[in-house]
Amino acid sequence: MNQVVSTHNLSKQYNGKYCVRDLNLSVAKGEIFGFLGPNGAGKSTTLKMILGLTRPTKGFVTVFEKGFEENRGFILSQTGSLIESPSYYGHLTGLENMRVVQKLREVPDKNVMQALRIVRLEKQKDKKVSQYSLGMKQRLGIAMALMSFPKVLILDEPTNGLDPAGIGEIRELIKSLPQLHGMTVLLSSHLLSEIEQIATSVGIINEGEMLFQGSMSELKSKSQPTIKIKTRNNKLAQELLRINGFSSIQSGESLVFEDLLDDEVIKVNQSLVTSNIDVLRIEEHKKSLENIFLDLTGKEQSL
Amino acid sequence: MLIRCVQAEFIKLRHTRIWLLLFILPLVSVIIGCFNFYMNQGVLKKEWYSLWSQVSLFYGEFFFPIFIAILCAFLWRLEHFNKNWNMIMTAPISANSIFFSKLIVVGSMLTFSQGFFGLLYFFGGKLLGLTSALPVELFGWLLRGWIAALTISTLQLALSMRIKSFAVPIGIGFCAAILGLGMYVINLGLLFPHSLLTIGMGILNQSSISSLWNNLLYYIMNGVYIFVFSLVAIYRMKKSDVVA
Repeated sequence: MNQVVSTHNLSKQYNGKYCVRDLNLSVAKGEIFGFLGPNGAGKSTTLKMILGLTRPTKGFVTVFEKGFEENRGFILSQTGSLIESPSYYGHLTGLENMRVVQKLREVPDKNVMQALRIVRLEKQKDKKVSQYSLGMKQRLGIAMALMSFPKVLILDEPTNGLDPAGIGEIRELIKSLPQLHGMTVLLSSHLLSEIEQIATSVGIINEGEMLFQGSMSELKSKSQPTIKIKTRNNKLAQELLRINGFSSIQSGESLVFEDLLDDEVIKVNQSLVTSNIDVLRIEEHKKSLENIFLDLTGKEQSL
Repeated sequence: MLIRCVQAEFIKLRHTRIWLLLFILPLVSVIIGCFNFYMNQGVLKKEWYSLWSQVSLFYGEFFFPIFIAILCAFLWRLEHFNKNWNMIMTAPISANSIFFSKLIVVGSMLTFSQGFFGLLYFFGGKLLGLTSALPVELFGWLLRGWIAALTISTLQLALSMRIKSFAVPIGIGFCAAILGLGMYVINLGLLFPHSLLTIGMGILNQSSISSLWNNLLYYIMNGVYIFVFSLVAIYRMKKSDVVA
């Protein structure tokens, strides 16, 4: 596979505490990689290390299979980014802000207007950015990142501050980038629903460690259904079924079974009935992605 | 790359009023200096030289160093705000270009300021009715003053880059200007950036730099300071994490 961005045991320590730890992230060409994690999980720190804004305590980053340190200029010229919140000079107009980036990146004039058109800011381009709304600043930030039509686009929480219509618009825009411009996109979010709708691959990070990395379909396959059975005597039922080879866990007033095939459900039910344990309910529960995410990050306790 | 960075810096300065300072500070210095000269004509008998001692005192010892400090703090403040450090440090430009583009912008503004000051000095003298020829040293004072100003700029740029506060580096610059006066008085002027300005502009001693060797030493000291300050600043920029 053609790796565009990879990190190798990437770690960052602040005051002796790991903020990112032994992170091995890998983004292939043409992917939209969703980097998912709760607030403070280390997403921004990781993205900043990929862009050389923060120096790793340990490990290293490669982009296009080239070491970052030795190829900083080349890598940055092929990368567009929007980190933390948008950068802008408030006393300048939107267009003048674009001109600053144009100078720094040596980009032709037509790209400037094209990028402004894409984020639909061309009408507000002569307004001072300090008078922009948060959503407009965010759009400007995306336009600045897109301006050079880079091979890699790194966006940190790109839909921050946008209204629902804007979120939808930016989502469609990001989705179109790999086909239209051959970009590879790496974006972070703390919202699962957002990543679910955009990303082709996912990395889930919590407390600085990567908990899951793979394609979106792999993650979804984790959402296998569980069977919940409620009886009049759960304790006895659990004991009986354990002897028969079906292990379960008590959850509320039901017993929960994972990976039960239909035939096995029949068997379980028969053995309960023949043992005179009254079965009240047999339910199938599909784990939502939300639950998988919460299971992985262990965040449900804190909520 | 450096040229593009300088152009970007000039775009950033649009709609700002920092240009006003370029006019106001030389003007105020010359007005105060001329007034002083006019009131004390009894003691100040050396015509152009006496006038220079008055106008350059206010300009070189007080206004100019502070003006440089404000200019440098202003240029970095643009980056300290609104996460702009993230933007410039993810652009494909080197730390050298970022630092030197700012130094070039400051330098060009100082050129203007020096030229305007020289012009005002000439008109001020004419207005006061000085009839003798302009001092031959005038160009040398302005040029050497400009070079010492560059040295101070490098120091102030390095300070303002690291210190996010706008006022603190200016305060440091003000203290350094006073310290520089002290260093000059105890004859250690060549060892201190702000004293170099006093020496170079011939503020306290209009005949100042005479021998070729002293002249050379003056340029060497400025060169060393500019080199060391930029080296430290650029090294810090390369090695430390960006906190935007």
